[in-house]
Amino acid sequence: METELARRIVAGLREAGIGFVSYLPETRLSQILPLMREDPSFMLVPVANESEGVSIAAGAALGGRPAAVYMEGSGVYVSSYNLLVIGKRLGVPMLLIVAHYGSLMDRRNSFLYAAPGLHLPGNLESLNIPYEVLEDGQHLENKIKGAVQLMHAIKQPVALLFTGDFTV
Amino acid sequence: MNRYECFEFLAPLIKDELIVGSLSGQRVEWGHLSQHEGNLLVACMGGALGIGIGLALVLPNRKVLVFESDGSMLLSLYNLPTLGSLQPSNLAVFVFDNEIYSGTRISEPTATAGKTDLAAVARDCGIAQSTTVRDLNSFQREAKAALEQNSLRFVVCKVDQTTGHRQIRRSNEDLSEHKYRFVRYLERTESKEIFRGRG
Repeated sequence: METELARRIVAGLREAGIGFVSYLPETRLSQILPLMREDPSFMLVPVANESEGVSIAAGAALGGRPAAVYMEGSGVYVSSYNLLVIGKRLGVPMLLIVAHYGSLMDRRNSFLYAAPGLHLPGNLESLNIPYEVLEDGQHLENKIKGAVQLMHAIKQPVALLFTGDFTV
Repeated sequence: MNRYECFEFLAPLIKDELIVGSLSGQRVEWGHLSQHEGNLLVACMGGALGIGIGLALVLPNRKVLVFESDGSMLLSLYNLPTLGSLQPSNLAVFVFDNEIYSGTRISEPTATAGKTDLAAVARDCGIAQSTTVRDLNSFQREAKAALEQNSLRFVVCKVDQTTGHRQIRRSNEDLSEHKYRFVRYLERTESKEIFRGRG
C-alpha cells in the first residue's frame, strides 16, 4: 500500500473519532501500525488472537473510547463467536478494519488466500455484520466516517474490507 | 469452599468497582447477590477477561474485577500473554475453578482437574501476583487485597462442585437492558458520553 493511503486511513480513523485499536498484525495494511503508534489519538493494543481483539475492543467501547479491531480476513473466522455473542448479541459498536486477503482484487492473492478470502463476505453476511469493500482511495475518509457513524447508530460491529490498491 | 460463600463475602464490599462476569452458575449467583449497576455479566464463554482488560485500559482510575470460570479461562488462554504484556494495575481476575464443565450436568472434568495449573500458566505469562486459594480465609485475604491494592492480580479459587445456582430464580433483565444499565452507570459516574444517539 502506498504510504499516502496508509496515512489517509489513519487520519480518517482519527477524524471519525476512533481512539482505541486492538490488532493482530498482518501484511497488507501493516503500514498503518507505526502511524497509529506515534499518534497520541490512538491507544494501540496488540493481541494474540482476534477473538480477544474483539472482546478487548468491546471493553474499551463500553468504557467510552470508540474502538476498532484491525485484523486479516482470517481473523473474522477466528473471532466469529465473539463477534456474534459480544458484538451482536450484547450489542457493542466497533469498527472492523479487515485486510481482505484472497479477494478478487487482492494483488497478493494465491492458493493460500483465495478460499478464505472468497468466503469472507458470506461469513460477514451470515453474522449480519454490515460491510463495505474498499478497492482504492476514492471517498476513503467518507467511507470510514460513515462506517463509524453506522456502528454507533446500530451499536454493533461494522466492517471495512480493504483490497485492491490497499493490498499492493 | 464454594463459590456462593465467596460471593457472599465479596458482594457487600463492592462500591464503585466494575465487575465483569462470564457465564453459567457464577452469573446466576453473583446476579442474585449483587444488584450493583457496575456489574457487566456478559453471558458468554471466553469473553469476560478480554472485556475487563479493555475496560481497565480505558478507565485506569477505576478498579475492574473479572470473574472467570475454569472452562471459560481454558477457552481463552490467549488472554494471559496479552494481560502479562499489558499489566493493567487496576485489574484483578478471579477464576472460580470447580474443575468441571458444570453446564454439562454430568460433571465432565476440565483440564484443571488434571495437571493444568492456571495460576502457573498466568505466572509464566508475566502475571507475577498469581496464586491459587483453596479455603475461604485465603479467598477473603486475596479479595481484600484486590480491592485495596493497585496491582494486577490473578487468583484461581478452587471451589466445590455445586448446583445451588439451579435453585436461584433467574433475573428477567435481558442482555440489552443489562448493558444499558451498565453504560448509563458509567456515563453518570465517569461524567462522559459513551453511547451516542447520533453517530
